[in-house]
Amino acid sequence: MSTLDQSGTVHISDASISVELETPGMTLNIGPQHPSTHGVLRLVAQVDGERVSSLEPMIGYMHRGYEKLVEVRNYAQIITLINRIDWTAGYANEVPFVVAVERLTEIEAPDRAQYIRVILTEMTRISAHLLFLSSFPLELGASTPLMYAVRDREYVLELLESVTGGRFHPNFNRVGGVKPVAGGGSTTKKQSQDLPAGFIAATNAMVKRLRGTCVTFDGLVTGNEVFLARTKGVGIITPDHVHQYGISGPNARASGVGFDVRKHEAYLPYDKFDFAIPTETDGDCFSRYAVRLAEIRESLKIIEQAVNDLPGGPLRSKVPRILKVPAGEIYVRGENPKGEMGYYIVSEGGRIPYRVKIRTASYSNLAVLPELMNGALLPDLVAILGSLDFVLGDVDR
Amino acid sequence: MTDSQSEAGVESTNDTTLTDYATVMATTVGASSWTADHGTIRLLVDRSNWVSAVEAASASGLKFFSFLSAIDWANEVEVGEGVADDAVDERYDLFCRLSSTTSADAVHLVTSVPKDDASIATLTGLFAGAAWHERETAEMFGIDFVGNSNLTKLYLPDEFEGHPLRKSFPLLAREIKPWPGTVDVEDKPSTTNVEADAGAGE
Repeated sequence: MSTLDQSGTVHISDASISVELETPGMTLNIGPQHPSTHGVLRLVAQVDGERVSSLEPMIGYMHRGYEKLVEVRNYAQIITLINRIDWTAGYANEVPFVVAVERLTEIEAPDRAQYIRVILTEMTRISAHLLFLSSFPLELGASTPLMYAVRDREYVLELLESVTGGRFHPNFNRVGGVKPVAGGGSTTKKQSQDLPAGFIAATNAMVKRLRGTCVTFDGLVTGNEVFLARTKGVGIITPDHVHQYGISGPNARASGVGFDVRKHEAYLPYDKFDFAIPTETDGDCFSRYAVRLAEIRESLKIIEQAVNDLPGGPLRSKVPRILKVPAGEIYVRGENPKGEMGYYIVSEGGRIPYRVKIRTASYSNLAVLPELMNGALLPDLVAILGSLDFVLGDVDR
Repeated sequence: MTDSQSEAGVESTNDTTLTDYATVMATTVGASSWTADHGTIRLLVDRSNWVSAVEAASASGLKFFSFLSAIDWANEVEVGEGVADDAVDERYDLFCRLSSTTSADAVHLVTSVPKDDASIATLTGLFAGAAWHERETAEMFGIDFVGNSNLTKLYLPDEFEGHPLRKSFPLLAREIKPWPGTVDVEDKPSTTNVEADAGAGE
């Protein structure tokens, strides 16, 4: 090996091996088909060796144009459609929309229907968080937690299916209550779908079982040294990021912004239940994991209280066969597993809305990614992406 | 009955505080008019005051940038239903929601943008998160955000022409096959009664 020094003298030695290699900027395309991008997300990164100097997410591969499609559908048809926005939480997507239409039409769902909505929303949250608990450690190289999370998620999905008939897209809500029983009968005489026999006992058993799952995760993941090394202090979201980008849900609560729609808005009767809002202050990937694990425990508490205090009575209020919504505008938001999801509905009267703006949590949560990746190491990208827990359907709508 | 009456009482109290809050916020941001329907406060501000109004609302504690989008008010619509009174002022309404992260307080700031001069100042100087929302609004409505350096398409292919959320943009699926839903939910002679639900539970 030969090198030239500043004076121009040629040195023949092995010393050049220790000289730092120049790593000029390189553009790296990640995705749109890549296991760690949770769907079709393309990332264009400028890298200098292992360090990312800038990163731009390219979204839109899942854009289905919901805001246009809902302008030509009546309110009942829209409920079916919006199930598909965040497919890990189909049920939770329906609730704010239905509540918004109920408020515009001044129809109130009966107590029993409201409680069923709470139970199913919280089950949806648990199922979405279990999906996170399966995929996040897997991306960091731990494949065992996946088995536990996916196995136990099945208990939740089975209960959801026993009530609604659907595992992912329940389409169970109607304006004024829950859906009619499947099968024959004239529309005006149809009974509403009630909880199946044995549901309360099965739910109590599920709650007990999932409390065990949380303990398993504490033993398997929470204290795991490799997991801690990969997640502690990585991808820090500050409270300022939360406000600037509109980050909501567990991602915001992991950064010390303890806002939860369930505590502040009466879109469902959450004031009847005793539960806490878990928060962390570090804002790193580990905090986001810890908040979600703690939220499963709180959701189990809500489900337990709701099934055991379930009021009787009707499941659906009187609703006109042709639902005409008076002119007006309303924004109703709900706490989805991913964060604040809301519908801004502008009605000009009639059976179809004039304009619906769908505010989804993942869209705002993903927008912060370039800031988090600025100067971060490329291997941390997988940890940061996974910890944000977005769904591309929820980003692109 | 007693229950619903007491609930109505609670609601009216809430409405009063909401009205008070809306009045205060309207003064804070310099709104020309406001409404507070269904718990949703809407403050109408002038286009030239857009950035300063958003800044004032943000400084008053509504620091959380929730979303920004627009609505196309048009008489002639290619999709959906036209507006009720048929003689609307043709314009885009831009709306931006700011909320608090310590309480349920929130406002929607609304400004009108004329269709022949669809441009407005950017909010990216106040909220970094506004960048994507403005890009989306630019591609969907064709509104220009002056000062936003990146208004390239966010969702649609680069070669896509048109602005899909404009009411003048036809929906291809409905062009090929007219809406069957109109027929589905058409009024029938015997539909004056309301649905009496017998689902009484267990």
